[in-house]
Amino acid sequence: MTFAFTMSPSDLLLLLPEILLTSWLCLILIIDFSFPRLPNEQLAYFSIAGLVATLGCLAWFDITGITGNLFANMFALDRMALFFKMFIVGSTILVILASIDYIHRFKFFRGEYYFLIMMSALGMMFMASANDLLSVFIALEFSTIGFYVLVTYLREDMASNEAGIKFFILGIFAAGLLAYGISLVYGETGKLVFSDMKAAQATPGLAIGFLLIFGALGFKIGVVPFHSWIPDTYHGSPTPVTAFLSIAPKGAAFAILLRMFLVALATFKPIWALLLVATSILSMTYGNIVAIAQKNMKRLLAYSGIAQIGNVLIGLATGTKMGSDAMLFYLLTYLFANLGAFAIIIAVSEAIGSEEIDDYSGLGRRSPFLAFSMLIFLLSLAGVPPLAGFIGKLYIFVAAMKEGLYALITVGLINIIISLYYYLIVVKKMYISEPHDSSPLKVSGPITVVVYVCLAGTLVIGIYPQPFTDWVVSAILTFSNVADPTASLPVPPAVIPFGG
Amino acid sequence: MGDYALLYILFTPFVGAIALIFVSNRQTMLVRGIAAGAALVSLLASLYLFFAYDHVKGGFQFVQRFEWSRQLGISLHLGVDGIGTPLVLASSILLFAGIFVSWHIKDRTKEFYIWLLILAAATIGVFMSLDLFFLFFFYEMSVIPMYLLLGMWGSHTKKYNEMTDPEGLKQRDSVGFIFNFGSNSKEYAAMKLVLFLSAFAIAALMGILLIYKYSGLNTFDILVLREQAKLMNIPVLGTTLDKIIWLLIFFGFASIAPLWPLHSWSPVGHAAAPAATSMLHAGVLMKLGHFSIIRVAFEILPETTRELMPIAAVLCMFSIVYGGFVAFYAKDTKYVIGYSSSSHMGYVFLGMASLDYISLTGAVMYMFAHAMATGMLFAMAGWVYDQTHSRDIPSLGGLSNRMPFITGCFVVACMASIGVPGTVNFIAEVMIIVGSWNKYPFQVIVAVVGIVLTLAYLFKMMRGLFYGPMDQKYSHAHDAVAVADRLPLLIMITVSIGFFFFPMHLYHVVRSGVDPLIAKIIRVVPVAALDRDSLHVKREARADSSPQNLAALPGDVSPLTPYASRSDQ
Repeated sequence: MTFAFTMSPSDLLLLLPEILLTSWLCLILIIDFSFPRLPNEQLAYFSIAGLVATLGCLAWFDITGITGNLFANMFALDRMALFFKMFIVGSTILVILASIDYIHRFKFFRGEYYFLIMMSALGMMFMASANDLLSVFIALEFSTIGFYVLVTYLREDMASNEAGIKFFILGIFAAGLLAYGISLVYGETGKLVFSDMKAAQATPGLAIGFLLIFGALGFKIGVVPFHSWIPDTYHGSPTPVTAFLSIAPKGAAFAILLRMFLVALATFKPIWALLLVATSILSMTYGNIVAIAQKNMKRLLAYSGIAQIGNVLIGLATGTKMGSDAMLFYLLTYLFANLGAFAIIIAVSEAIGSEEIDDYSGLGRRSPFLAFSMLIFLLSLAGVPPLAGFIGKLYIFVAAMKEGLYALITVGLINIIISLYYYLIVVKKMYISEPHDSSPLKVSGPITVVVYVCLAGTLVIGIYPQPFTDWVVSAILTFSNVADPTASLPVPPAVIPFGG
Repeated sequence: MGDYALLYILFTPFVGAIALIFVSNRQTMLVRGIAAGAALVSLLASLYLFFAYDHVKGGFQFVQRFEWSRQLGISLHLGVDGIGTPLVLASSILLFAGIFVSWHIKDRTKEFYIWLLILAAATIGVFMSLDLFFLFFFYEMSVIPMYLLLGMWGSHTKKYNEMTDPEGLKQRDSVGFIFNFGSNSKEYAAMKLVLFLSAFAIAALMGILLIYKYSGLNTFDILVLREQAKLMNIPVLGTTLDKIIWLLIFFGFASIAPLWPLHSWSPVGHAAAPAATSMLHAGVLMKLGHFSIIRVAFEILPETTRELMPIAAVLCMFSIVYGGFVAFYAKDTKYVIGYSSSSHMGYVFLGMASLDYISLTGAVMYMFAHAMATGMLFAMAGWVYDQTHSRDIPSLGGLSNRMPFITGCFVVACMASIGVPGTVNFIAEVMIIVGSWNKYPFQVIVAVVGIVLTLAYLFKMMRGLFYGPMDQKYSHAHDAVAVADRLPLLIMITVSIGFFFFPMHLYHVVRSGVDPLIAKIIRVVPVAALDRDSLHVKREARADSSPQNLAALPGDVSPLTPYASRSDQ
């Protein structure tokens, strides 16, 4: 491999979003140090301005079709990378908006909070573009370091510290697995870039290497059996960080998984499909069954998140273009529903100071808006029409059906019922149980904005998904290695209006 | 409106529900007004639909098609045939009536009407969907509002074994009791209903996905699938694929119907639900089951239907007799009506199982007729409960002094439910019985026994509620006096009696939907294949020469074209 970087100034254009964000987060740090008396909201809105500019830049790339590879293919900017970058930046904006009212709980370093969030987002943007095992390692660790700090941001709170320790030890362990896996793969193939590994021979070293890499990424997305950090970390972290942790890193890790399985390991599909089917079944079933017993909203969403990731893995297990489309679409629906639910947890815990499910009793009377939104988000997570989650689940099941993964679909469908049960328990608390205290709740402005955005996303994707499916389909299309001819869609036959 | 009638019927309730979000809960009259207005528009549009449906032309009319997802091959394809039209009408009537029945709901009025409108609109959506995806979409969408309606405005029921039992007998619904864990709270009923129906809906969804995959057409469109899907003779798991799909779809949808072993959610749910919800639920939601079986299994898998429909013929007997006996011994008014509904839905299954022109027409007409009858019964059980706060039949009595109007309506509703001449139920029942006699004489005898049972338990309930000595604590009970209270009952009575005297339009409309379906199932040359405008010419041509079409017929099937019976037009 030659590391001759021939960079022209026009190549730097491809890095524009990252450069923009990097300079912006340095600026945030400078402002925070120079003006310590600056109100926190202003810093938040300033961070959001930078993120919106980055998002606009990404959208511009996506619309005009600016793509390309940099640094000897280490950095790939294709439509899929753009999709995931927009996914990450979008969720970061919503998380920062949702944090504005939460930030008063932090005693120190309030300014750095925004810096760390944006730094993690930057790392994840590189993850979405990582096209080679070295950049995977660097980007993944880069984004995780930010999270190690963010998780422990409630310094006085033992739970937050416990969450941090747990996350750190297991995270470091996963990093070790990743490094070891990369070394094994490099030793076997002599290649680092995913697309160069297509001709690799199946050897035990390669298999173990990729298994270790999958373990490290599985830790990121939190599938069974790499899930054990999820409940405690989600529970102990500051809620906005939990929300961030439950969405953005998963999207970024799925970008790497897509490249790894569908490009580097395309020839070994029968083998890894089995692995994914097994982890998917385990995640869905374990997540949903354990979620039934939860008494805390954040833990409930943590376990439901494990199950949701199991659903996403169905899409990956198909190994087809349609499955990958469905995966991206599902992640989009999951973004809105999950972030919305976490925003409501923040709003409720600001108002009543509790995250226990029991304290949601009578929310329907105390704050009809929050209760109704929570209902929509939970039902979307469960997959009830006409909400986004239903279309996402159906899309994934249709893709899996085309590949004939009947067992996986059956388990997935049964899990819908299990998940409906515990989501409905929350609905029961909110609407049917009488409130312990019937004073109305106050909801602050930024949280309301987040909830409205997520509501709009959940309802619009559910009622008119066509633009979004078009988007995910085009996102995978230029990811040329995945485009398999068998998935080309036959045109639906003409309809006979009066068929008798 | 014309061509867009279906859109008006379907979307007005949704628009009404959205409009209600922006109204304050304190403006009760405005809330009721918006709900009633939305329901009225929907009702008028479906009346137009019903009378403008051209039964000579038949087929799917008022078709609307909007592409919804290219990738998945889904389009919002709406259209009604002779089977969907009366059911759409029944849904709108019950929605309109239900809004007046729940006129006195004080707690969170706005939310109640929002969920009620969504429930009714989703139900109507199923009856007009020509796309498997949207059929399931609306089906599942109609189940979820039930949870909130039951949970928020429902009422607890006593345990079965705590019901007063003057004869000293300990009668329980054994199956229901086993699955009940002794708890009959409204939360339990709501959760059971939603999980039970969703679980079986998931089975139906599996069937739908299998149709989608094995047809290979990349479409969910029922009209395309029924013409082009080739699902027969694919061996799988020691049987054939079409049988597996058929069983998934049949039992998936039969759970809401509810067919006998799958009924246990239904009486519990009915008993816990507020009156208007029970009306819609027993009146039209239960028909979603039969309708979806007809729309999916009959249309797409006609040959498998012919082969496997005897399953329904066997199970419907249990439905009829079991439901009837439990209704006879139940002490709770809503349990009586709930079990009577579940028993009466057995007749519909009998009519469907016979696969005969007359009996299936009767079955569809019975769905329409039963919607009115059971709607009235639930509305009045709700009224009595509101006035007395009791549903325990032995403790009630003599209410006819206090509420003569309700008593009179109740007698009519009982007559309708039994199927006494004078109500459209009579016509429908006779058609089911006559049509099924050739094929299933034993089941017909059971059905007649079921009618006697109906008579017994409804008269028992009527005597228990309205006649005999009255407990003085009910002396404050009021009759329905206000127009808003009387209107829903009068509408349903008018429809029920009116269609007895003028049944022919209903009959022709239903028949125009049933004929091509049955013709396809029993392998008569489908009428659909003929040009409908030159029907007479074709028929004459058939009569005098020996047409080549007839040669293709199996010998035992009468070559009578279904339209031969229509010379009276």
